[in-house]
Amino acid sequence: MSWREARRISDVAFTEVCLQAIYAFRQGAAPLAGGLAGAARSARRRVVQSKILIAVVLGLVAAGGAGILADAPHIAQRAFFGVVVTVPVLQAGVLTGLLSLDVAFLWWTGLQVLPTFLASGVLATIEPLPIDDRTLGRVAGLLYLRLFDLPAIVVLVATPLFVGLVLGPTAGIVTIPGVVCAVVFALALALVTGRAFVRRVQGSRGGGGRTVVRWTYLVLWVLPAFAMFGFSVAAPGFLALLGRTLAAGPSVGRDVLLAMYPFTFAALAPLSTGGTASLTLDASGVAILFAAAAAYLLVAEWSVGWLMRSVRRVGLAPPVAPREMEVSVRDLVPHGPARAVLTKDLQIASRTPGYAFLVLFPVLDALAIGLFTFVTGPGSNGALALALAAVTTAALLATFFGPAFFAIEVNAYAYGRTLPLADRSLILGKVALVAAVYGVAAGLVLGITVLRVFQPAVFLAFIAAEFPAVVAASLLELALLFRRARKKGTPLVSLYAGAWYAIAVAIPGLILAGIPLIAFHLLAAAPVFSALLIMGLVALIELALAAPLALGLPGRRPA
Amino acid sequence: MGDDGAGGLPLVIDDLSVVYGERRAVDHLSLTVHRGEIYGLLGSNGAGKSSTIKSIVGLVPPSTGRIRVFGLDVATDALRVKQRIGYVPEASMLYEALTPREFLEFVASVRGIPRLDASARTNAFGAAFRLESELDEPIASLSMGTRQKVLILGAFLHQPPLLVLDEPLHSLDPRSVRIMKDLLARYVTDGDRGVLFSTHTMEIAQQLCHRVGILDHGVLRAEGSLSDLRERAARGDASLEEVFLSLTREDEGLDAAVRALEGA
Repeated sequence: MSWREARRISDVAFTEVCLQAIYAFRQGAAPLAGGLAGAARSARRRVVQSKILIAVVLGLVAAGGAGILADAPHIAQRAFFGVVVTVPVLQAGVLTGLLSLDVAFLWWTGLQVLPTFLASGVLATIEPLPIDDRTLGRVAGLLYLRLFDLPAIVVLVATPLFVGLVLGPTAGIVTIPGVVCAVVFALALALVTGRAFVRRVQGSRGGGGRTVVRWTYLVLWVLPAFAMFGFSVAAPGFLALLGRTLAAGPSVGRDVLLAMYPFTFAALAPLSTGGTASLTLDASGVAILFAAAAAYLLVAEWSVGWLMRSVRRVGLAPPVAPREMEVSVRDLVPHGPARAVLTKDLQIASRTPGYAFLVLFPVLDALAIGLFTFVTGPGSNGALALALAAVTTAALLATFFGPAFFAIEVNAYAYGRTLPLADRSLILGKVALVAAVYGVAAGLVLGITVLRVFQPAVFLAFIAAEFPAVVAASLLELALLFRRARKKGTPLVSLYAGAWYAIAVAIPGLILAGIPLIAFHLLAAAPVFSALLIMGLVALIELALAAPLALGLPGRRPA
Repeated sequence: MGDDGAGGLPLVIDDLSVVYGERRAVDHLSLTVHRGEIYGLLGSNGAGKSSTIKSIVGLVPPSTGRIRVFGLDVATDALRVKQRIGYVPEASMLYEALTPREFLEFVASVRGIPRLDASARTNAFGAAFRLESELDEPIASLSMGTRQKVLILGAFLHQPPLLVLDEPLHSLDPRSVRIMKDLLARYVTDGDRGVLFSTHTMEIAQQLCHRVGILDHGVLRAEGSLSDLRERAARGDASLEEVFLSLTREDEGLDAAVRALEGA
């Protein structure tokens, strides 16, 4: 069969991927009143919306990078850790960052999407059909590519386009091999690591020690999402390293740098506009650069073939490698319903990278800012400001990601609805999770900065004053989602299946979480404890308003 | 089988209709499960069995009609109804990322089952179904049969007075089927509990059910014990399968269909 036939089959199969991702019929969700054709259209539309959202972020990253490139002559006047870099070196550095971000974002998107793709079981469905092996491989490969199509197209088009607009058409054209490699490497990395993580994390047995191992893996999983943060934090040091290494002339370090992706491709744009002198490269340097670029292109070509061959194998492999069964005798330990929801969500998150991300990102973000505060060692007041910023970020991130915890209910949502679990308990369990994420993140910052910040009372009061606002925000968000679920069926709010819902309900949540923070900053001139008192009062009023709405006034049904 | 008035009956369905868009899955269905009774709901694919059961457990809102469980209305007293029901769904809908032990812990928590009782029942069922070595494996990695055993365990965990079982023996191994049949037969002998049981398998219904109802395109065509149905179908010594096919008129053209397949 031809590629055309493979594309036709993959089109049908992709609808099934979308349908299962959104409506989870395989988990027993009830049929929809509007019929399946409407559901299929709606599922595809919602997946496209989510892809657009990711693509917009990638487009903004490319535009931001181009903005820095345009401002390069101005930025290059500053010293980075005592090293003054030339404009071409700065350009190469920015492009290195841009290509790294492209790889990281696409890789991370793939890690989020892969479990959905594998869980849809679509490859196992088409496998028994009388389709030849080659076409089945092509269908699987095309299906995998479709998961990324719009974001990948934006990377392939936007980055060379913006670079071309700022540095000239030649620079734009020579950027193309770099972005092609970025897309191919990201897709290959997503498949390799995604599959490994699915097996090691999703397939992990129960038990305390294994839970620690799972969360350790999950921390690694989340790290690509910190590319933006890492880039902005590490950029000055990286530019200083680049400036020093290139200015020093031929050396092993320089040769390694030239041969290292993505710098190999990032160097091509300044070379195309300023010649070899712009990066002080001799003939051997240029040879290494082009040889490395050619090698990466060959690896990319091989990777495309590998992807087309491997998606089918990966999609059909059992989720857990065969192993010896162990018998362990352990009592069940029932809790109260709300705590049971919290425990269940954490257990599910520990085997589901998409949810683990929601738990880990605010915590790791706070940790990173806390460490930055500790390492850079600003004065006491500066450190306090940074620590407060870390807590602020943790509060806003926990609030922003909170709605997505609702999507956990879609895994067996139907079964959950047959249990005598009150909406109130379900909402409280999920709010407890958001509050716990905020508490752990704020606690980490406190632990790190207590060594440098000498106003622990102020810091603790700030954490406590914001706490009711975080709870109020997540109560409001979850109440809105529940209302929607009752009316129209379960709204899925994962990155791939329904980012719009998450964002729509996160906006009022972020407003609630943000008002006390804004109040605190507006009262900067007042005595700090007075400002904190007012901040806390505002947060408590929000909680007093949100709680009855979410949990139900006495005698009324909850939202 | 005891019957102490409508208020105390395990299940009373009155004039239930379930409509999906333009399709009427259940059409003005009324039936009753008495105390001490196993009631079999029989029907072809798409007859409305699962829609009926999903309405009972609160998954699908009825378009018309009323469902009462031990006198409690499903529409207005959902939580108390759910406390009294143990449910095995048709599809294996479970939290795939949990292990069976974690899943059962969640079910026990929500149902407020004391630790000792929950553990004792889990261990007993685990041993009977030979599940012990799989209690700590992720559900995503379990076979269909093992998932079904986990669902059955979840349904029995609180020893509910009403069991609502949608194709419960589906994909079970013969040993487990035998255990389930014996268990269900004994479960209702105290005269207080009831079981609603849907199946395609006529032999099992014939062996296990005190009464059966035959659903056809959402309509209850016939109801009663096997002898009642034989009488109604005027098939003196027929098997339940023959009675079913006759009452639903699905025996019409049966031989012709088989011959057509032979020649295909």
